[in-house]
Amino acid sequence: MHKLGRGHRDKVQQFMAITGSSEKAAVQALKASDWHLEGAFDIFYSQPHIRTVTDSRHLEELYNRYKDPYVDMILVDGITLLCNDLQVDPQDIVMLVVSWHMKAATMCEFSRQEFIGGLQYLGIDTIEKFRDKLSYMRSELKDEQKFREIYNFAFGWAKEKGQKSLALDTAIGMWQLLFAERHWPLVDHWCQFLQVRHNKAISRDTWSQLLEFAKTVDLQLSNYDEEGAWPYLIDEFVEYLTENGIVQRHQN
Amino acid sequence: MGKIVDLEEGLELVQKGITKLTNILEGRAEPSFITDECMMLYTTIFNIASRNHPQDHSQLLYDKYRELLEDYLTSEALPALSEKHDEVMLLELVHRWKNYKVMVRWLTHFFFYINRYYIPRRSLTPLAEVGLNCFRQLVYQVLKDKVRDAVISLINRERDGEQVDKTLLKNVLNIFVEIGSGKTHYYETDFEAHMLRETSTYYSQKASIWIVEDSCPDYMFKAEECLKREKDRALHYLHEISEPKLLQKVEDELLSPYTNQLLENETSGCHVLIRDNKVDDLSRMCRLFCKIASGMNLISEIIKQQVTAELTVLMKQAEDAASNKKPEKKDEIGLQELVLVRSVIELNAKYLAFSNDCFQNNSPLRKPLKQIFEVFCNKGFSGNSCVELLATFCDHTLKKGATKNSSEAVEETIEKTKDSSYGDITSLSQTVKLLAYVNDIDLFAEIHRQKLARRLLFNRSAHDDYERSMLKKLKQQFGWQVTWKMEGMVTDMTLAREIQSSFEEYLKSNRQENPGTDLSVTVLTTRFWPGYKSHDLNLPSELIKCVQAFKIFYETTYRRKLTWLYSLGSCIINAKFGERTIELIVTTHQAAVLMLFNSADRLGYSEIKSQLAMTDDEVTRLLHSLSCARYKILNKEPNSQSISRTDYFEFNSEFTEAMKRIKIPPPPVDERNKVIQDVDKGREYAIDAAIVRIMKNRKVIVYQQLVGECMEHLNHVFKPDIKAIKKRIEALITREYLERDQKNPSIFRYLA
Repeated sequence: MHKLGRGHRDKVQQFMAITGSSEKAAVQALKASDWHLEGAFDIFYSQPHIRTVTDSRHLEELYNRYKDPYVDMILVDGITLLCNDLQVDPQDIVMLVVSWHMKAATMCEFSRQEFIGGLQYLGIDTIEKFRDKLSYMRSELKDEQKFREIYNFAFGWAKEKGQKSLALDTAIGMWQLLFAERHWPLVDHWCQFLQVRHNKAISRDTWSQLLEFAKTVDLQLSNYDEEGAWPYLIDEFVEYLTENGIVQRHQN
Repeated sequence: MGKIVDLEEGLELVQKGITKLTNILEGRAEPSFITDECMMLYTTIFNIASRNHPQDHSQLLYDKYRELLEDYLTSEALPALSEKHDEVMLLELVHRWKNYKVMVRWLTHFFFYINRYYIPRRSLTPLAEVGLNCFRQLVYQVLKDKVRDAVISLINRERDGEQVDKTLLKNVLNIFVEIGSGKTHYYETDFEAHMLRETSTYYSQKASIWIVEDSCPDYMFKAEECLKREKDRALHYLHEISEPKLLQKVEDELLSPYTNQLLENETSGCHVLIRDNKVDDLSRMCRLFCKIASGMNLISEIIKQQVTAELTVLMKQAEDAASNKKPEKKDEIGLQELVLVRSVIELNAKYLAFSNDCFQNNSPLRKPLKQIFEVFCNKGFSGNSCVELLATFCDHTLKKGATKNSSEAVEETIEKTKDSSYGDITSLSQTVKLLAYVNDIDLFAEIHRQKLARRLLFNRSAHDDYERSMLKKLKQQFGWQVTWKMEGMVTDMTLAREIQSSFEEYLKSNRQENPGTDLSVTVLTTRFWPGYKSHDLNLPSELIKCVQAFKIFYETTYRRKLTWLYSLGSCIINAKFGERTIELIVTTHQAAVLMLFNSADRLGYSEIKSQLAMTDDEVTRLLHSLSCARYKILNKEPNSQSISRTDYFEFNSEFTEAMKRIKIPPPPVDERNKVIQDVDKGREYAIDAAIVRIMKNRKVIVYQQLVGECMEHLNHVFKPDIKAIKKRIEALITREYLERDQKNPSIFRYLA
């Protein structure tokens, strides 16, 4: 450790605190990522041997702590307890990231497979390790690629079982949550527009294309192509913005 | 010295031979050659030529040949020709040429030996060609101008109506060609060029006279005649290469300079011919001007203006009629409108016919006509859309003659149109032609279907054959998707009649099943017919018996479930008003109301409503039709014009009417919204089907291409809205028929 410079030493400590790994593994990962913390995390977690680090007995115990007494699943009460243990608000977006890692099918419930499998993947077998992992998971939201995956995952996760579309209120809630992490100035106008003009459920296509819209189209909408393949709802949103003078469009 | 003597001897013999030949050709008394003499001449030449001699006799002979011909021409032909003129000269020329060719032929025979060996060896001009050259130099070049002028003068005389010797002209002009060894160089330069110039002059003069004196059709007639005659001329005696050039000159003088003057002539020009329907003259006009671009454009323009003007007049008439309509009749399409619709249809048909006659395929008028009529097709008039107007017109045309109960006074002209419209198949095909310009043909089809249903169900269709004929035309124009349901409906009626017959048979053999009331049922196949709501209704007991009887019969025979549509039914009720019985033709619903009064004298609104189990809206409209409309079968208390829930009703036994059977008009039904709903739903299915078909085919496709192909698929039935297509794409993504590409969201992939 003393062979490293101060900055590097700090990083190693940080890494170890977050991942719960050994110093050796920390240094290895950081060296491999050229001393970038996030890159190091990626490398560390993508190593397959991590999975054997978890103790399956502990995982069972953990699961049983939160599982519903009548059904072999973790339901709302269990999740509330979990969040408590994690010292995290149940509405906190990090729970979405957790669900994403677990490939949870629906919000507010985890199946045994989802919970245990997810934790194994993350290399977590105790609440302490879980807690430690949270800041890493929060950081994942800053990654473009991962954010997109989480965003698209959220649609299937947040909608009701058996439904093909996402209820408008739920969708708006999710958007508020998600776009707090990745700022999009037009999100409020979008939500308002939907409530005023659309007032119906949101399709998967609209959901996923909205992110593309937020990412690629500038705030003056100058690079918006109305002949393009955007879903019709987004076309209507652009009309709404122009009609109401929220955006002055200069046609290209 | 023997050789020289031989040569001279030989040449003398040849000279003698030539003289003999000349005499024969000149018709002087001279016996013809005998074979020996020919042989002798040939041999002589042979002997002279084949001798090995320091002097080359072959060259001598070659020159001699030429000399002989030149002598002949100068001594015989030229003198004869130069003293003659005009036609006589031409005759002489032909004669001389003929003779000369014979001369050349014979001489070539005689001098054959040198032709065979000497000439090729020295690459000299062959004998026949030498002969030709001689004539050309000595005769042709000298006389060609005279000959040309003589020919042209004859041509002009023929143009002025004289009979001329065509064979002579043909022979003379052949010389011009033969003189060039079959190539037309001399013909063109020495004759044709001048002839064409003369032709221009000739026709230019004629044109300037005719254009002043003649009307456009007369002028055109003359022009066509001229062209015909020039064509004949070319056929009879000119060389074939002259024909197109000749006709071009005629057109250049007669037509091109006067195109505008002729076509735009105030009293007899194009627009007058159109107005007066002079099809022959117009066809001629198109034939004549078909090669003159400015002419065709002008004709096109004039026709377009004419059509637009006529159509504008009709539209204005329609708007005037609309503003004169009574406010309560505003949305109805009356006979006046139908007359105008018919005029529009006929207008289109007339100009389509012109277009086809005058321009045949690829008529430059097709697109403009479409554009002009699109004004009508997309706007309609007097507040009614075009598809409604056309559908109503078709309905009118396909209905039976005036119903017995239309007792309104009708103006004579409208009556005439009315009568002549019924069953008029021409009107129907003309209508279909106009429909071709309409974008939303599925909307028309849906309205037509609604009206067809009413015609079929209420027995107002003139004849099944007319209906099928119309459907066939629609199918040919727009495809089976537009007509298959309607065809099913027409077939249903035939089947329904059969079922009714079997029902009647069944009742005869099962008297106990007879419900006591004459019943006729029409069984429809659901998917063909417009969606009718089946209202719940408490039927009077008599009708319940009827329904039961038929149900038993049908469900045992055919084993299918029936849904009863009472709203489409009708009843004939015997109503006793005092001493008099009048037959009332009412709807089943109206009958249900009236029958209540068999067991009660006075009923309130709410009692009626609860007894029948109908909605307020339905009850109100029914009661209105029976108590506030034309025939007041029920008395209403209070006696106002609208129904309220506190009203009371009584049977009006004082009701009188002259006729023994009257039809009580049913409450009106507005089907318009339903039509639009049905059409929209149909379009969604159609777009879905098109997208899936395209995706299955392409597997991967760019958005723009998908939209483009979708439109192509659907265009003949309706014009899809891009937004609608986007919505359907989204729906299909949700239903997992397709997905967007991960990297490029403008690309779609088919999910098998």
